Amino acid sequence: MSHLVLGYPTLQESIATAEQYIAAGYEILELQIPFSHPTADGPVITQACRDAVEKGNITVEDCLGALAGIREKYPDQEIIVMTYLNRIFAFGLERFCLEMEALGIQHIIVPDLPVDSPQAHTILAQKVQLVPVLAANVHPERLDKLLGMGFDFFYLMSDFKITGSTFSLHPRLQEVIERIKTANPLARVGIGFGISTAEQVRLVTTHADYAIIGSTLIKAKMEGRLAEVMADLAV
Amino acid sequence: MNGGGYFGRYGGCYVPEVLIPALEQMAQGFEEIKSDPVFLEEFYTTLREINGRPTAFTPLPRISEKLGGARLFMKNEGLNHTGAHKINHCIGQALLAKRLGKKRIIAETGAGQHGYASAAVCARLGLDCTVYMGRKDYERQRPNVYWMELLGAKVVAVDDGSQTLNDAVIAAFKDWVANPESFYLLGSAVGPHPFPAMNTFFQKIVGEEIREQCLTETGKLPDYCLACVGGGSNAMGIFYDFLDEQSVQLIGVEAGGRGMQPGEHASKVQRGVEGIFEGYHSYFLQDGTGNIAGTHSVSAGLDYCGVSPILAYLADEKRIQFESASDEEALAAVQMVAREEGFILALESAHAFAHAFKLAPQCSPDEVIVINASGRGEKDLFITMRHFQEESLLTYAQYLLK
Ligand SMILES: Cc1ncc(COP(=O)(O)O)c(C=O)c1O
Repeated sequence: MSHLVLGYPTLQESIATAEQYIAAGYEILELQIPFSHPTADGPVITQACRDAVEKGNITVEDCLGALAGIREKYPDQEIIVMTYLNRIFAFGLERFCLEMEALGIQHIIVPDLPVDSPQAHTILAQKVQLVPVLAANVHPERLDKLLGMGFDFFYLMSDFKITGSTFSLHPRLQEVIERIKTANPLARVGIGFGISTAEQVRLVTTHADYAIIGSTLIKAKMEGRLAEVMADLAV
Repeated sequence: MNGGGYFGRYGGCYVPEVLIPALEQMAQGFEEIKSDPVFLEEFYTTLREINGRPTAFTPLPRISEKLGGARLFMKNEGLNHTGAHKINHCIGQALLAKRLGKKRIIAETGAGQHGYASAAVCARLGLDCTVYMGRKDYERQRPNVYWMELLGAKVVAVDDGSQTLNDAVIAAFKDWVANPESFYLLGSAVGPHPFPAMNTFFQKIVGEEIREQCLTETGKLPDYCLACVGGGSNAMGIFYDFLDEQSVQLIGVEAGGRGMQPGEHASKVQRGVEGIFEGYHSYFLQDGTGNIAGTHSVSAGLDYCGVSPILAYLADEKRIQFESASDEEALAAVQMVAREEGFILALESAHAFAHAFKLAPQCSPDEVIVINASGRGEKDLFITMRHFQEESLLTYAQYLLK
């Protein structure tokens, strides 16, 4: 599963990168709608978001247009949209969900939206699912509560850090994954934050369904080495 | 307040899941200490021992006479140790951190007053302290950086974004995500639950003291209470005890900066729009498409994009009125209070005074206006000196470099 920021460095180039990811066979695309202050992201993704917002003036509408283009060309590609709450709050939560539904997007990731908050209820009343982003410190009772709410895709932070940090895998994640899979064998689990080598991809996918690669690919794009880095990451 | 830290629809706890255990632990700890006589005794004793509370309630007779109209008083929170009201909530939160067994404190700071107070309290309690400060604030409030470091805190200049308070808050949250066992000692009545309620709880002593002092001095409650509004800690401090006193008019004064064009001010209640950011639902200065906008104020402590969800709620309820004072008006107020009454105000606090000086002449002589002097002005030495005596500042800088 691979991640990019829509509108970075330009809308056209981000669409081209998405196509490159699809061609390389990434099963899921995680496409981020840029926000001026991505509070849970590290320096690389923050920079990409800033550039998209400040230089490109990229709006939610622009991103929806890009998503529609990708969808038209790749009707079966699984896409997860990621963004921060204020961006879609300003756009209108219900309106945003309807747009997602029309685009055939089933999951969205909103890291600063607890999935049991009033705004999450507004979203969950529509057809789109939220992806809880959990870390190794999630209390068992809280995890059971979320499992009881019927989520079917979980994003786990590899460790206590922000995106783009040095990779490490927290030992307690194994337990979290087992609890998820026991409660719902069909639930899918991805692990992300800091993954930068094929070896790490292999390690992560022995535990989870997906390794999520973000900052490494965006940094590679910044440095003009995307094809090379994608080849290095292939497993 | 209703459940989950909501004030009407404002407030809440909008944070990544990784921070929820820490915030739940903090909220539970806060619930316990609110009615724990042992904790409260320690809190009030500490306020007395290191801040010398109650702080003075000082008449401003010369200015009152000059302006004509209401009698003006100031509540001098600048007399607190480290020079501002910030240390009230630092003592409360640090004592809670201790009780929860925390060893490491994270804080953000704008003007440096909250960081300075955090560093001092952490030194006294033997807690490790890391303070995040936007690079621009780090440069413009340099004296406070030095004090924090002398007190043993680690001060991290944040180069991200606009390099002001907002960026410091984000950097502090990122540190907390990486170190969820640390205690985040947030510096205003903003952020996710329980911060706004907790901050107000530790600051409300300001209004409680004013109630008694004003009754003793004037035989009545204030007709008006004024405070500057950055995030809202000093404002909630002075307002809270009077919320149910309908005769007391409450006025929050925001930074008018250089004018009301976007990016030139920090008047979020008056010019912001509803949003959810940095953990809470409130008014934020935004660009119209859900991005957070830039701010400007001559005072680092007011130069922030958001405002307390409690103030947002009370603004909607029309319980608190909001006004602005410009950079120039604040600087003029500093000069006026210095010359006429002998006090050097923090630039933040001077915003509240600037509005009080417009209000007083419209009032009758039996009316009483109380202004929160949230901090003293020594920290602004290089900013106000550049404004009032640029030549002397340059001469002094050259002398230091010799
Ligand atoms: C002296 C003083 N007053 C006011 C403020 C503004 O903060 P708040 O609105 O939380 O009181 C600050 C913030 O740094 C300050 O140092």
